[in-house]
Amino acid sequence: MSSNGTDPDVDDTACWDARRGIFRTRKGGWVIGEAVYNHGYSMMDDLVGHCSFFQVLLLNVTGRLPERRLADWLEATFICLSWPDPRIWCNQVGALAGSARTSPAAAVAAGCLAADSRLYGPGVLEAATAFIVAALDRQRAGWTAERIVADALARLPGQGRPVLVGYARPIATGDERVAAMARVAHELGCPDGPHLQLAWSIDAVLGRDHGEGINLAGYVAAFLSDQGYRGHEIARIYSAWVNSGVHACYAEARDRPADTFLPMRCDDVEYCGIPPRPLPTGC
Amino acid sequence: MARSREPSVKSRGERFAERPATRLWLERPAPGNPYLAEHCYCHGYELDALMAGRRFAEVFYLLFRGELPHPAQADLLERLMIALINPGPRHAATRAAMNAGIGRTRRPDILPIALAVQGGAHLGGEEVESAMGFLAANLARPPAETWQSAAPAGPGDRRAAPGFGSRFGGIDPMAARLAGHLAAMPGAGPHLAWGQAAAAGLNPLGMGWLYPGVAAAALLDLGFSRTQGAGLYQIFSAPGLLAHGLEMAGRPITAMPFLDAEHYVIERD
Repeated sequence: MSSNGTDPDVDDTACWDARRGIFRTRKGGWVIGEAVYNHGYSMMDDLVGHCSFFQVLLLNVTGRLPERRLADWLEATFICLSWPDPRIWCNQVGALAGSARTSPAAAVAAGCLAADSRLYGPGVLEAATAFIVAALDRQRAGWTAERIVADALARLPGQGRPVLVGYARPIATGDERVAAMARVAHELGCPDGPHLQLAWSIDAVLGRDHGEGINLAGYVAAFLSDQGYRGHEIARIYSAWVNSGVHACYAEARDRPADTFLPMRCDDVEYCGIPPRPLPTGC
Repeated sequence: MARSREPSVKSRGERFAERPATRLWLERPAPGNPYLAEHCYCHGYELDALMAGRRFAEVFYLLFRGELPHPAQADLLERLMIALINPGPRHAATRAAMNAGIGRTRRPDILPIALAVQGGAHLGGEEVESAMGFLAANLARPPAETWQSAAPAGPGDRRAAPGFGSRFGGIDPMAARLAGHLAAMPGAGPHLAWGQAAAAGLNPLGMGWLYPGVAAAALLDLGFSRTQGAGLYQIFSAPGLLAHGLEMAGRPITAMPFLDAEHYVIERD
């Protein structure tokens, strides 16, 4: 038992006592009859009609209200993960939910949760950001992109495929979304910063030597690192990244007869366990 | 930054409780730390004593019903929980769990994803809740009179009522057999018996028991309320959902089907 300094039989609970029954926030909140405040802004006076949803999302997550063009860039990245294709794992969760007649909120929440993955979706962003931030530190210490790639590949467990977080994707090689976002960034007048310049170099090395290339997560991590965002902030910003695509797959399945999404016969599952056997009797 | 007063928005002035109240669980604080519980009581019984002397099904019943069950009730609940332990690998909720597993979703999220799907109105928790309402409302009627109006025909499964209908164009033999086992138990009551007769009346129409109906009847016989039905059904199926999700979690993504272009057809108007 930890002491409070005066009585060895009483724990020091001052941390919790100070917060019991009172909530102090730097985010904001509702002052009834006055305004809804958000990081010092009056939401109905300063934000609604003046800012985009994605500006407010960034404000809510980070406490910093960005310029509009960054929010527009962010919105475009959300469109990039809004595929209405139920073969994608998170989208299939939405389709299954529609087939099972859940609420849309349950379906979309479950789909977003499924995309918090080490394979795809927002679940890879924190690791992708950590990679490019560390890589830039190394480049500034004199490492070339070739050496950064070789070092990262040498650290991979199993020495299998050259899959660096942010620089490969499942199902296909190449990433049409990166080219689209590079175009959007150019049109918005957003120059490539040092993280993204290095990311392009790493992409070139991987493409030349291994047939892999930067994916959207790698691009987003590098771009937003250049904008001053940190890995945990990026992961929070993108936590509902796939929601729109899940919506599409839910809606289509929900509008069709229940339980008809890719129906499976018993023998559509391969059983590879112990054959049926009698239950032991007694102890 | 502008600060406008909104005179049209006024507090209702409602009185809110100063602290939440529960009948379920008492936590007695440790002498030197009021945030730590030293003893916990479930409806008055100390958890240590329940651990030492009672089966899981008995304590489960106690938690939701407020009193310990009779042995026959505990037996029926435990048998029901075994019957529902796994919706099987083809159920939508299980497939959601398997998708999450194969898609490298964080393992702690696999079960919540599956349970969200298992809350649905088709073969899920919401159907259990609806079936409990249907059974409670019709228990006084002779089962044969219930199916006067035939379920409308259409594509996909038919429903005579929540918990009763067809699956894949036929009668679900597993649901029927499990219902029979449960209805024959000493703890079974009028809802399972009514459902047995009602399902028999439906069989000539190509319909019968569905799993949510079986669960609904058994839960009503055990005294559970309709509002508890959906969540209990989710809990009962959770072991199978998690097991299937975790089984896939360590496998490569190629271990599950991914339709190729030939079998994924984008139709255009």
